Amino acid sequence: MGSLRGTGIAGDEAVQRGQLQVFSAGDGRVYDRAWQASLLDEALAEGFPAVRWSAEADTAWSVMPRALHADLEWATDELCHTRPVSVLCQYPAELKETTMETVCAMHTDGLRGSLVRTSPIPGGMAIAGEVDRTNAGMLHSALAAQSATTGEGAAFVVELSGLEFLDLAGARALVTGTAARRAAGGAVCLRAAQPPVDRLLRLLRVDRFDGFRVEGA
Amino acid sequence: MDQISPIHTGHYSHDLLLHEGDDELLTGTLAFVEQGLASGGKVLVHGTPERVAMMRAALDSHPRLDFGLDRDLYTSPSSTLFAYQRMLAESPEPVELWATGTVPLGDDPAGHPAWARYESAVNESLRPYAFHGLCTYDTRTLPSATIAAAKATHPFLSTGGRRTLSPDYQDPADFLANPVAAVPDPPDARPVAMATLGSAMDLSGARHLLKDSAESSSALARHTIDAFVSAVNEVLVNGLEHGGTRVSLTVWAEMSRLTCLVTDTGPGISDPLSGYSYPASTGARGLWMARQLCEDIFISDQPGAGCRVLLTTV
Repeated sequence: MGSLRGTGIAGDEAVQRGQLQVFSAGDGRVYDRAWQASLLDEALAEGFPAVRWSAEADTAWSVMPRALHADLEWATDELCHTRPVSVLCQYPAELKETTMETVCAMHTDGLRGSLVRTSPIPGGMAIAGEVDRTNAGMLHSALAAQSATTGEGAAFVVELSGLEFLDLAGARALVTGTAARRAAGGAVCLRAAQPPVDRLLRLLRVDRFDGFRVEGA
Repeated sequence: MDQISPIHTGHYSHDLLLHEGDDELLTGTLAFVEQGLASGGKVLVHGTPERVAMMRAALDSHPRLDFGLDRDLYTSPSSTLFAYQRMLAESPEPVELWATGTVPLGDDPAGHPAWARYESAVNESLRPYAFHGLCTYDTRTLPSATIAAAKATHPFLSTGGRRTLSPDYQDPADFLANPVAAVPDPPDARPVAMATLGSAMDLSGARHLLKDSAESSSALARHTIDAFVSAVNEVLVNGLEHGGTRVSLTVWAEMSRLTCLVTDTGPGISDPLSGYSYPASTGARGLWMARQLCEDIFISDQPGAGCRVLLTTV
């Protein structure tokens, strides 16, 4: 609640209205799947059209093993796909590569970093914002997770129209994140890059790597 | 005593032909073209439309002989340099390239040092390749400083069919300290923006600061500004990775030119030629990329400690 004060969001009033509920990690129930489902169902039954829910992974990791938290995350995916529920899971930006890959794989509806957003699109993924070495690791993992699971046959599309900036580390992430799919003979289409990003991709000859295609809008 | 040294095919060469008239120019050019064609290589003769017309008339056509206009091929020193390098480095089959002409120095002598630095950097960037340059300079029309620079940037002189080591030749790193190289200093004007970076998390803020200052204080095209921001970003990254904990950025903006100074507090072992060579598959390519995204990058030791990098747009 402390972090909401000063943001312009009237958190205290929302709590008084019963529109916002805050739970601490010490409250053992919050990590119980059945309790989570019933809480959401109650809110929907009260007439709220949808529920938004956000939680910190760091906090959860302080009270439970990471493997257990990962199971919960997968179960949360189920809640989102069976109810009008949106969940924003907060992770520290600096994660070990293997952890980052798991986290990316379990959040297929998109990732948000301080500079970048990814979101699923038919046959691929859209990347918007700025990619530099502070978030290139996340992009690599998101691409690795998505390009491995998105349908074979057609090219995996990486939609770049919302990407304002890409640095060398980011370009490398586009290459390494899709390497497995391309090595297996799959194609990757880098679509609709803005002129500065397009220039960088061509300067680094990313368009000539096996399996890549660079396309306009 | 002059000694005739042949140009070795398969290796790099960069010769200077000083001439006083068209006859000397034609004789020297014809001999160079003939040797290039005999080696089995590709030959390029470049120049102004008038010069190319003169050379076309003097040379028999050949499937491996091409003519090119400076306005297409020599648009700026850095783009010309890296176009040659990429052609040689990225060709699927080995290429032996013979190129001759006069670099388009321009009418204003103030613009000559940028091309002189290009001539010097060629010796670093293209040395690994089977590239042969014969650069022709007209001693009747060019200022003496420009001729002096040409002598310092070409390992060999070609005169009257003889080819001799240039006694004034300087290695590219040494040439940068030569007054004729005219390496620029940061502008005297007041900077339009300054920032200090402590980690990569500060990069985005620095990029936006630079972009906003450039857009409000210069009249440069958006693509020039965007490319410059990318170049500066890579130099800042280098500073953060190798240069200790704090990296400073200073920005100057004129109507048609941006200058950035990036300084760090690292151990300060700077290589002024960093980023000129074609990167190996695992090598650092940040500076190589940056050099292609702006007009010039000057790397030197900071007085005291650390490294100092000055970047300029055209």
